[in-house]
Amino acid sequence: MSFALNGVGLTHANGFVALDGITLQADQGEHIALIGPSGAGKTSLISLLGTALAPSSGQVSILDFGQNTASTAALKRLRARIGTVHQAPPIPGRQRVITAVLAGRLGQWPVWKSLASLFYPLDIPGAREALARLDLADKIFQRCDQLSGGQLQRVGIARVLYQQADLILADEPVSALDPVLAQSSLQRLIDDAASRGATLVASLHAVDLALNSFPRIVGIKAGRIAFDLPASSVSEAMLHELYASEGQILPTQSNEACFTPQAASTPPLRSACT
Amino acid sequence: MHLKPAERDPASQPRFYSALLALFILWPLFQAAEVSPGALFDPSNLKVIGSFLSGFLPPERGSEFLGYLGKATLETLAIATAGMALAGLLALPLAYLASAAGREKPTLNPLIRSLLTILRGVPELVWALVFVRVFGLGPAAGVLALGLTYGGMLAKVYAEILESVDAAPARALRLNGASRPLAILYGVIPQVSKELASYTVYRWECAVRASVVMGFVGAGGLGQLMDQAMKMFNGGEAASILITFLLLVFVADLISSGLRRSLDQAPPPSAAPFGPGSTGLLAIFVAAVTASFWFLDIGFGALFTLESASSINQFIGSFFPPDLSAAWLRKVAQGVWETLAISAVGTLFAALAGLLLAQARPRLLFNFIFNALRSVPELVWATITALSVGLGPFAGVLALALHTTGVLGRLYAEALDNAPAAPGRALRLSGVPSGLAFLYGTLPGAAPQLIAYTLYRWEMNIRMAAILGFVGAGGLGQLLYFELSLFHYAQASTVIIAMLLLSIAVDQTSAWLRRRMA
Repeated sequence: MSFALNGVGLTHANGFVALDGITLQADQGEHIALIGPSGAGKTSLISLLGTALAPSSGQVSILDFGQNTASTAALKRLRARIGTVHQAPPIPGRQRVITAVLAGRLGQWPVWKSLASLFYPLDIPGAREALARLDLADKIFQRCDQLSGGQLQRVGIARVLYQQADLILADEPVSALDPVLAQSSLQRLIDDAASRGATLVASLHAVDLALNSFPRIVGIKAGRIAFDLPASSVSEAMLHELYASEGQILPTQSNEACFTPQAASTPPLRSACT
Repeated sequence: MHLKPAERDPASQPRFYSALLALFILWPLFQAAEVSPGALFDPSNLKVIGSFLSGFLPPERGSEFLGYLGKATLETLAIATAGMALAGLLALPLAYLASAAGREKPTLNPLIRSLLTILRGVPELVWALVFVRVFGLGPAAGVLALGLTYGGMLAKVYAEILESVDAAPARALRLNGASRPLAILYGVIPQVSKELASYTVYRWECAVRASVVMGFVGAGGLGQLMDQAMKMFNGGEAASILITFLLLVFVADLISSGLRRSLDQAPPPSAAPFGPGSTGLLAIFVAAVTASFWFLDIGFGALFTLESASSINQFIGSFFPPDLSAAWLRKVAQGVWETLAISAVGTLFAALAGLLLAQARPRLLFNFIFNALRSVPELVWATITALSVGLGPFAGVLALALHTTGVLGRLYAEALDNAPAAPGRALRLSGVPSGLAFLYGTLPGAAPQLIAYTLYRWEMNIRMAAILGFVGAGGLGQLLYFELSLFHYAQASTVIIAMLLLSIAVDQTSAWLRRRMA
């Protein structure tokens, strides 16, 4: 069991109900995509799994930790095993890429090593390897404010690859990337999770990307789970129902992916061009 | 002449009452500050200041005196550097404790925040005056005083800088299991390191100016030399010392802006985050601090013996309980009022003079005059103005006005340069005389900035007015100096508390004003 939510609700201080009656379980090593219209509660669900938010009701158990019983030290140990890719990479502009990547292991490293790495990075090969998987090895000693938005987002992914977390959470991890790069970067994350048997939960705005890459799809609408099915059982009608509030067209990767020659090199998209 | 209501300017009535109110407030302030321009031209005063100023030329150049001057200059620099090192040591843990940065729930630490308020609320010169009584005459009192006050200031500003930037990186690290110190080091510091360093260097520049005047209470450095020269009416020596002030402040300014500029360059991509430049700077910094402590030869060991601890204890104990008798409180209240009056009138004079001089040409000449005026500390001006108008609050008013004219003149000139030029130019092109074009076209655009600068400066001047009395220029400082000289510690304690409350009141009021204007 990787995590289990049982009847979990989340109400913000201003009374807004972000999540309501969520029951969701995942075995270790499962790959799950969260889809749904914006504002449905995908980010709230990810924050809950990442222990950034505590539930207002219901039980949460993550990596066999009951959230309510965890002490500060235990919570810290738990958090070191959870890696999160944020939609907007939370990386200071003046920090160097190498430091931003090494920061992924602050929760695991002894303090002396974390402090020393501020003066001289102690694991250059490790960081380079993580960056190389995202074609960023040449940027290793650059400052983050010299990178483009897409490059910065991939640095955020490299940090989580480097962290080697047991539970990887990704909140719109490839939103700033063009379709080709999005597909390949997401694939790196999936491959990494698969090779280490880590659980991966990713919220994605592009439905085609989710259906192509993830075996299990959870649709979320208005703070509730609309469906929780294998990707092959998700029908067009269900998707239209899920995104009813956003109009007739399903959100997919931008359509030019279907027509540009590069698209040939990526796996064929199933529902993107229908 | 009575006009029909429809033809009367609707703004006239509020304006009339505001003017009346201003007079109503200013009159007693002028009274309390004992403004008497006649004293400037009093024959006996003229003779004193005349003979003193005529002694300025030629400045003293005797080799023995120059030796003293060189040693005092080094001592001033060393006091500033050692004081800043101490302040930094104090500020780092306090800022960490006080700041909300890196906390998952942004809470402030009220206990540490009030400790910081007390540390920086009491002027460094008051601390120095008190420490001189514990540790004897010499630089130790100056270093400790600077360390405490600047420690409080640095800690507050550091804490605020840490809170001012994007909190997401540190939060994300905490969610990865990093502890708060590491989350700050990896998530916040990279965003603020430049600002922190820049503010620290700027504060060092201020510390140089502050340590110049430490000598007036016997805490070593150039001030002590100046004090002696003034007491012996030696104009030649005073002139040499003033020139040294000018050079010292100018050089500190240069070093400070040079250091701050060097922070802007991005480092070359390499494995080590520090290039040879920063390593060199770090080495210079360490060397400077070590040299300062070595040069001052402060027996810190002696300060922390059991014996001195008990004598310090006893000394602090003699300040309690403060004298709260009605008669003394009345006197302190009078001192507070006088302090407020000195600061308000002095700032007003400076604002008027600054506004006039800010437009004077040639600009280069007047920039030099502004720099000269502001490089001489208020307290040093006060020793000179006290010669020309006699002891009392008016000397304080003039001293504040002279120094502040230098500061405001420069700020005003910049603000006027940056104000929209088109309205004034259009008026001049249509034949309006340039003075009027300024009033109708340029001034309205620059006014908010000018007012903001003036209020900010007044805020600083209130604090300064509280200590000008150390050289006999009225206000709370005069009371404090007097009572400490007579070993009346209970009374002195009341005055220090009054200074602290005044400083807190000024802080709160200006914060409130800023919030309202924003």
